[in-house]
Amino acid sequence: MNDTKKAVRLPEAGGMWDKAAPFALLAGALLATLGFILTFTTAPLVLGATVNGVELIGDQMVSNKLLLSQKIFYFHVPVAIASMLALAFTAYYGVRFLMTKEARFDTCAKTATETALVFIICTMVSGELWTRFEWGVWWTWEPRLTTYLILMLLVIAYFILRNAIDDPERRASYAAVFGIITFVDVPICFMITRMIPSSVHPVVFRTDSGMSPDMLVPFLICFFGMILIAFGLYRLRFRQARLAERVALIKEHLED
Amino acid sequence: MSALEVSRLTKAFGSRKAVDQVSFAVPEGAFLSIFGPNGAGKTTLLRVLATLSRPTSGSAQLLGIDIKEAADKARTHIGLISHSPMLYPDLTAEENLLFVARLYGLADAQGRVGEMLDAVELKHRRHDTVRTFSRGMTQRLSIARALIHDPAVVFLDEPYSGLDPHAVEIFDGLIDVVRQDRTFIMVSHDLRKGFDMCSHALMLAKGRVVAFDEKASIDFAGFSQLYAQTVGMGVA
Amino acid sequence: MHHYLTLLKKDLTQEFRTKEMLTSMGIYALLVLVVFGAALAQTASGFDILQMSGGLLWVLIVFTSLLGLNRSFAHEKENGCLEGVLLIPLDRSVIFLAKATSNLLFLFAVEVVTVPLFYFFFLTTTTPAASFWMIVAPLIVGTVGIAGIGTLLSTITINTRGRDVMLAVLFIPLVYPLLYACVSATTAAIIGSEGFMDVFAPALLLAGGYDIIMVLLSWVLYDFVISA
Repeated sequence: MNDTKKAVRLPEAGGMWDKAAPFALLAGALLATLGFILTFTTAPLVLGATVNGVELIGDQMVSNKLLLSQKIFYFHVPVAIASMLALAFTAYYGVRFLMTKEARFDTCAKTATETALVFIICTMVSGELWTRFEWGVWWTWEPRLTTYLILMLLVIAYFILRNAIDDPERRASYAAVFGIITFVDVPICFMITRMIPSSVHPVVFRTDSGMSPDMLVPFLICFFGMILIAFGLYRLRFRQARLAERVALIKEHLED
Repeated sequence: MSALEVSRLTKAFGSRKAVDQVSFAVPEGAFLSIFGPNGAGKTTLLRVLATLSRPTSGSAQLLGIDIKEAADKARTHIGLISHSPMLYPDLTAEENLLFVARLYGLADAQGRVGEMLDAVELKHRRHDTVRTFSRGMTQRLSIARALIHDPAVVFLDEPYSGLDPHAVEIFDGLIDVVRQDRTFIMVSHDLRKGFDMCSHALMLAKGRVVAFDEKASIDFAGFSQLYAQTVGMGVA
Repeated sequence: MHHYLTLLKKDLTQEFRTKEMLTSMGIYALLVLVVFGAALAQTASGFDILQMSGGLLWVLIVFTSLLGLNRSFAHEKENGCLEGVLLIPLDRSVIFLAKATSNLLFLFAVEVVTVPLFYFFFLTTTTPAASFWMIVAPLIVGTVGIAGIGTLLSTITINTRGRDVMLAVLFIPLVYPLLYACVSATTAAIIGSEGFMDVFAPALLLAGGYDIIMVLLSWVLYDFVISA
């Protein structure tokens, strides 16, 4: 073996991570549920904690009437962050792929993006419900909403791109490059409510306001729950993808 | 020194191996024909050797230059003639050649272009755009384009596909003219013709070498029988 | 450097001979203007065209450049020319820079014609602010970004099925932040109300930052795209 190429450790399905995946999923679901229960039992109702003053959106006056609907925050925000985290992994595996040209990293990147899409859709749906209730409109071209919509379109475009290329190596390279440039939109989306002060979307993470412990605890529980769910979904999907690849390989051998 | 020395060259993506542990060596001045059924990995092998695609593992030395480590150095010695002419239809013959000559950084680009146009007998049309050329003229110009930097190793990727018999004749004549002491590596699916032209023959099936030898020690009847068998083996 | 100039000169020679990209983009832009005319024909007389013109102008630019970018790699692919260039020992990012430059020059050339036309059709009935000339800044910054991202994406889409639609699918969401910033800077300059610089300057800065990140990323990633 005169191969000088350094062996790259490839992520593989079936190890202890996969054994942990269903438990992670379960634990995530339990944590999230617990978080939601706490949300409705211990967390105080918020009176305009996240919206300042009166805003006019879609011909409706919006003031300090954040009540029960604010509870969606404990679902909406963790899911949104999980989606962005998944996209970070898309970009990370994209870089790994371009450096090694190992098909495995392409599978990882694709799986991460699929996970991201699930969470993005959940974020969009919960967000829309909330805007309908609070702002009185289903949709408004508000910066955070718009950039997040763009993020969703980019992720959808990622899959459309993959579908339009036949050669697997080229598909993987292009998808990796596109995944990396897509990731540029993630920090923009995250920061946009700070960059454009006129934005009416609540700014959650800031140093000054801080959440009261009553709110923070359920939030964090939900947050970790969602991260665990994301991890579990990713592992399960990855395992399924790997098994499908192996089945394809075995079929090929059988044909010989 | 070998013109081309290939050792355990593999081009794979995931579990699919388009080229699998290919090893062979041909001396300078050889004419190697590569045969194999569709999907055997001929074109992939050629593209890897011509530095258009990076090998997954293994090595290949072109005139002693490693094509993986020193691709740019190897490229100065590589010419490629394929069924697509690689010419811009809206540039004139001269502009096309000058463009390539300048990119190769040739010292006397203008002079070299004149020389090449003479060699392929297109000097009188040098100010016409390639779009107005006949298929045969385009093919001639594409040979001039491929050889403008005087490459020592010339790759031919099914150069006959899409050529009419007359153009084939002209093409063969030209290849004889530019043959000199260059090494030629040709991918072909025309067994008879490719075998007649070559000094070495290589047969691929499913990315692996099925047969490789000097022509002198190959019996054509047996070789074509083997070819028929590999075609039956299907695609890797 | 001489590689860059040779590649660029080839693109320019080719375009000046056929004028394919310039005429198709020019005519398309004119048609979009006509469509705008139809779309705005029923609006009330008191309608504030100034407020909308920045956005309309960028709609025009984005769609026109989409058309041009789609064409920019067609020649390279058609006869295997791109492969021929890849056989030559040269830095692949130079190919990106040369192509992005030629795309940029063609886009500028089209804008030089269409922006005055836009003014003629839609803005002669009102009076844009004195700061109108400042729209040149967002135009330049925006076009640089469009050319940079567009060059990378058109190299990708040239090898995909249904490439014309594919370019739009990838390109429009990706330039959205740039578009947003450029529209707000342009609109601020056209209206030119008091303190418009408070919008104009940060928007321009945002667009510029996005340009830098995207062009750098495209430049770095180009090798992977073109060699794939």
